[in-house]
Amino acid sequence: MKIKDHSASSDEQLVGAAKKGDMRAFEELVARHRDKIYARAFSMMRNEDEAVDLSQEAWVKSWQRLKQFQGESSFGTWMTRIVINLCLDQLRRRKRQRTESIEEMSEESGGVERQMPVVNVNPTERLERAELRKKIDQALSQLSHEHRTALVLHEFEDMEYKEIARTTGCSIGTVMSRLFYARRKMAVLLANLKTEELK
Amino acid sequence: MINHDFELKLQAYLDDELSAGEAAEVEGRLTQDPEGKALLAELRNTRTAMSAGELEVKLPESREFYWSKIEREIERQSRPVAEASKLSWFAWVQRHLLPVSGVALLFCLLAVMLVHSEKLTPQYGETELASDDMGSYTFRDQQQKMTMVWLYDRNDDSQLADQSAPANMEEE
Repeated sequence: MKIKDHSASSDEQLVGAAKKGDMRAFEELVARHRDKIYARAFSMMRNEDEAVDLSQEAWVKSWQRLKQFQGESSFGTWMTRIVINLCLDQLRRRKRQRTESIEEMSEESGGVERQMPVVNVNPTERLERAELRKKIDQALSQLSHEHRTALVLHEFEDMEYKEIARTTGCSIGTVMSRLFYARRKMAVLLANLKTEELK
Repeated sequence: MINHDFELKLQAYLDDELSAGEAAEVEGRLTQDPEGKALLAELRNTRTAMSAGELEVKLPESREFYWSKIEREIERQSRPVAEASKLSWFAWVQRHLLPVSGVALLFCLLAVMLVHSEKLTPQYGETELASDDMGSYTFRDQQQKMTMVWLYDRNDDSQLADQSAPANMEEE
């Protein structure tokens, strides 16, 4: 039997075929979006193995829920939401297992970020885009999961406060606080990375 | 020092999450608040920096290997569904047919017992002895509901004369 070549099909056509049980069409969707889905899992978990596992789990889930996808958003966006939810579940499980530390208690109240002086250095100045991305990545890895999640969802997924609150299961106030302290910490981290470079 | 509510309001202003009225209020306050202005500038710088986007991350596995794990998991998860459907059929039989067959079996047993109970009615006049050398006499007293059986040795003539003592006695 001749296997249909799906490489020229659009995402919508692939989704339609996959809904009818065409695994090869689904494989093509995985091939197209796997890097993006993995990257989102990695940006939230900061662990390669965990990100691979969670992204694969997201694909399995999407296969099971494919009939629920009505095309209101793009397939890539829908998939990203699935992997974000899986990452958040994993982070919640991990948080439950952890003993509450002083750092965690100060997640929403800001902890040391509260007393930080305003940073005047502009981190974007005289930096190449690729270089800046690298710095952002380094700085993001130093944030707590809660702060990083708020930033990633707001800055990279373009979610509004309300949407972040719904996705993370927090109040809008908590989202605003987390985002605020995450940004303040990022400002310090990026400024430090920049001044270290200038030395 | 700026209070936390105003800090969050500044951020919401930057993110365009305030109503027109609230935004105007923030702008008005900022004209006389250099500290607030500096904080807004910091928040804006960070946001601009973040707009550079994320570092490009590539999946550290080949397409085939990555897909093979997904495919295997999908197949594994679809298997229990098939088994579950078989199991649910079995469960239906267990749930509905087994009680019915149990009741039917009970009826059968009762019927068999009823038939046999007629056969099991004691035939007091027909006592059978295993030995040919033994003889017996029985007496049934209906009033006392008692049956008396005298056993004797056929070869011993002397016992025929003396049949006063009962050898066995059955009571209903």
